[in-house]
Amino acid sequence: MDAKLVRGLEQLLGSAGVLAGANDLLLYEYDGSIDEARPDCVVFPRSTQDVVEIVRLANRYDVPIVGRGAGTGLSGGAIARRGGIVIAFSRMKRILEIDTVNQRAVVEPGVVNSDLTRAVEKDGLYFAPDPSSQKACTIGGNVSENSGGPHTLAYGVTSSHVTALQLVLPDARVVRVGSRAIETPGYDLTGLVIGSEGTFALVTEITVKLSRLPEKVGTLLAVFDTVEDATDTVADITSRGITPAACEMLDAWTLRAVEAFVHAGFPLDSAAVLLIEVEGVQEAAEAQSAEIAEVCRLHNAREVRRAADGPERELLWKGRKNAFGAVGRLSPSYYVMDGVIPRTKLTVTLRYIEDVGKRYSLQIGNVFHAGDGNLHPLILFDQRDPAQLDRAIAAAGEIMKFCVDMGGALTGEHGVGMEKSQLMPLMFSEADLDLMRQVRAVFNPEGRLNPDKVLPLVKGCGETRVNVLAVLSSGRP
Amino acid sequence: MSKGSAYVASRLPEIVGAEHVLTDIRVCAKYEVDGVRPSVAVRPGAAAEIAEILRFAAADQLAVIPMGGRTKLGIGMPPRQFDLALDLSRLNRVLAYDPRDLTCGVESGVLFADLDRQLAAERQFLPLAPAFADRATLGGIIAAGADSPLRYAYGSARDYLLGMEFITGDGVFSKSGGRVVKNVTGYDLHKLLIGSLGTLAVITRLNFRTFPLPPAQQTFLASFPTVPEALSFCAAIAKSPLQPKLVEALDRGTARLFAARGCTRTSGDAWSAVITAAGQQAVVERHARDLERMAGDMRASEFAPLNDSEQAALLGCITEFPRLILEAFPRAAIFRIAALPAAMPDLLRQISAALERQRLDQATLVRASGVVYVAMLPPTSRDAADENAPAKNDAAKNDAADKNDADENPDIRLVTAGREIMKVGVAGGWRPLIEWCPPSVKRELRAAGGSIWPPAGDEHFLAERLKKVFDPHGILAPGRFQGGV
Ligand SMILES: Cc1cc2nc3c(=O)[nH]c(=O)nc-3n(C[C@H](O)[C@H](O)[C@H](O)COP(=O)(O)OP(=O)(O)OC[C@H]3O[C@@H](n4cnc5c(N)ncnc54)[C@H](O)[C@@H]3O)c2cc1C
Repeated sequence: MDAKLVRGLEQLLGSAGVLAGANDLLLYEYDGSIDEARPDCVVFPRSTQDVVEIVRLANRYDVPIVGRGAGTGLSGGAIARRGGIVIAFSRMKRILEIDTVNQRAVVEPGVVNSDLTRAVEKDGLYFAPDPSSQKACTIGGNVSENSGGPHTLAYGVTSSHVTALQLVLPDARVVRVGSRAIETPGYDLTGLVIGSEGTFALVTEITVKLSRLPEKVGTLLAVFDTVEDATDTVADITSRGITPAACEMLDAWTLRAVEAFVHAGFPLDSAAVLLIEVEGVQEAAEAQSAEIAEVCRLHNAREVRRAADGPERELLWKGRKNAFGAVGRLSPSYYVMDGVIPRTKLTVTLRYIEDVGKRYSLQIGNVFHAGDGNLHPLILFDQRDPAQLDRAIAAAGEIMKFCVDMGGALTGEHGVGMEKSQLMPLMFSEADLDLMRQVRAVFNPEGRLNPDKVLPLVKGCGETRVNVLAVLSSGRP
Repeated sequence: MSKGSAYVASRLPEIVGAEHVLTDIRVCAKYEVDGVRPSVAVRPGAAAEIAEILRFAAADQLAVIPMGGRTKLGIGMPPRQFDLALDLSRLNRVLAYDPRDLTCGVESGVLFADLDRQLAAERQFLPLAPAFADRATLGGIIAAGADSPLRYAYGSARDYLLGMEFITGDGVFSKSGGRVVKNVTGYDLHKLLIGSLGTLAVITRLNFRTFPLPPAQQTFLASFPTVPEALSFCAAIAKSPLQPKLVEALDRGTARLFAARGCTRTSGDAWSAVITAAGQQAVVERHARDLERMAGDMRASEFAPLNDSEQAALLGCITEFPRLILEAFPRAAIFRIAALPAAMPDLLRQISAALERQRLDQATLVRASGVVYVAMLPPTSRDAADENAPAKNDAAKNDAADKNDADENPDIRLVTAGREIMKVGVAGGWRPLIEWCPPSVKRELRAAGGSIWPPAGDEHFLAERLKKVFDPHGILAPGRFQGGV
């Protein structure tokens, strides 16, 4: 990278605001996924104006820019695939305003998800999107990925909780979209930008809705001797019109991994557990707990445990939310998938995943948002062995294709990023993708911002569609 | 039209079949938008036909407005040009409904009422609760950005619309989203089409998440002498642990209108808060207890649980609010203003003052989630709500009234008040929209440099660029959207 550019950035941000040394950059080669690429430098703006100036410099020197929150993304979104400047938002982490009466907050993008909740809890409020990574991930990252979490089932993903954004476009123009109000006349630009995975604009300010903490939370742990009984239970809860606040599943392998790490109290000899939460007024939580316990028993639950409030509940959730970390202790590398299927197809899909694991001789664990059909198969492999990596990727491709064939989707919350962009033709025609490309160009005409993400690199869907798996494995670093 | 209607008349039948090309002047009159009559109406039976019609229209620079039940065409500015009405009512198939997954996929011309019946058979529903519920189509409801009183608990369409298929202005099929309840694959283009008034693309399929009907439900009414008190009650509910399905407040003008429709429980002399609780019986009873206590604490002049038929009548009236206004006052204008709840009392005070100055009556409906509807009622129709006078008599009465008020055209007052409220709203930081108003008022507004739309912000260039991407030839409902798009 041009030394003059680095000097220009240092002049703007101070030398503590710019990293350009090879060792420092190492940390920014990754996010939570398995891809990597090295940026030329990383900068730490403190204000929207800083961001504007950085973008101007990037334009002058014609280098790519990539936004970055906490780097917990699971699809390679924050990776500087073509080098350039990574704009890390970790110093833009002020909560600018809290309006408890109207249940709004205005935050900078680097605010950590759970910090916002912590700041408003005393007023009986919280920020509803709760990715399992919420103690680390940023609200800017949540907006970019349209993140979900266990409680998305009842309360919706990030887009349901954001009313306005301030954006810096790749031409350095600052615009506001949306408003504090619940709706804004005109095209829903806010809704469009949320989930655009950092490829439309840099988000420098976010207006969010705050939700009211429920009066009562009931947490149930249902223990099953077969996976089928657990998945049938989920389908049955859904079809009976019971809407729990969260409904998570861990299979036998995963719950054992978690138990060894967290000691949450998951029974080691079970085939699957469901972690189900009901919320609302006392009466609602009680009635729903009873109904759900009944459905679990109908499907042969060996045990339905009700967590007492407080520590016991927290321990169960700690188990769930640290599941990826627990798996990471057992395997040098693992690949987290994110397919979605209709809730009625859970049983057959889990059976298929098991079969794929056998065929590729790979251990695949499952810990996922069962209530909305959002699977997270974890494929374990050793990255040092290229053959294993190839097998893992091929297995993942098969699973994703199966999800799409079931009427589902490639990704429920982790995003397409660089990881799944080549698989997009499984769901979208060339015309669909071309329109998406043109819409991206409305915001990001030169492709300077977060290049080579979301949409497939190769034009001409013929090849990609016929030979997705080959493209997928050969197209990797 | 750039080509003679003879040419059009020969080309379109090849695409859709002669019986689905309507050129009779009287028939075309039914497809008017703000008094602009198309020269042809076409009723395609399949998405492929729509694509072909659009390609044909693009080549010939024919302006097209897609439409379903034609109940919400009054929303938007008058079209700059309008040649071809695209009637989507034949696209009326429910393509997929998986009650066990709580998802469905429908063609855009499906009647809300028809889908609602199918869902109800499985004890499910879609919380759209649109006005003109019997005639509105799902495509129209979504494209018009219709709002629902159930958003308090269920959010708006953006939260439960899972995906869409549509055809862009150059006749290309496209889609975004999907059919599953959680999905971030690709850009959410379908969100742009919500409320786009047909200016970006023709919607052909919509996928929704459906919801279970609650096992029990009850509606309560609390009356208060003033707006701030009624809204404080709503605010207290928001702060309480209660989770009602609907919370609205309505003024005297609205109560009077509802009373004329047989909904007599809202008292005509005060503000009423309407709360619907839903869930298991125990949950409803808990709401009943707490609401009664809160109403007492806040000195409500009346608190009453409604019986089933009263509830049905009141919720029906709330859902059909714009329709009831327009049927009783065809020359009314209705503002839709989203604002933060705490700002609502002050905003309403300023609005009432503006209406007072123009000697206009008012009917108001507040959604506690943060939207207010204010109908500006021209005085000439002041008591029309109480009468079922035939149209001819109304016209005669209008004439008489006009003579009494000989110095003015009633539109002028609407325009003046409308501009004033727009200004007050914008100054407060809101973006008021005149959702419904007579075409003549729209034209007067335009002549005065205004619009039914709030002034576009500095983000408007993005809207213009998006329009070019979706509709490169500018043939879809030109001029109806914000900022002349
Ligand atoms: C253990 C673990 C559990 C997880 N659980 C969940 C879960 O339950 N649900 C879920 O949805 N996700 C989950 N994730 C994924 C991840 O945490 C989310 O995607 C999160 O929102 C990313 O936030 P981040 O701050 O780390 O963003 P990053 O990873 O830094 O960035 C993500 C994307 O956003 C862009 N970006 C970030 N900030 C900005 C900005 N200000 N302006 C423009 N673009 C920006 C980046 O360019 C990138 O494309 C999990 C991840 C881990 C590691």
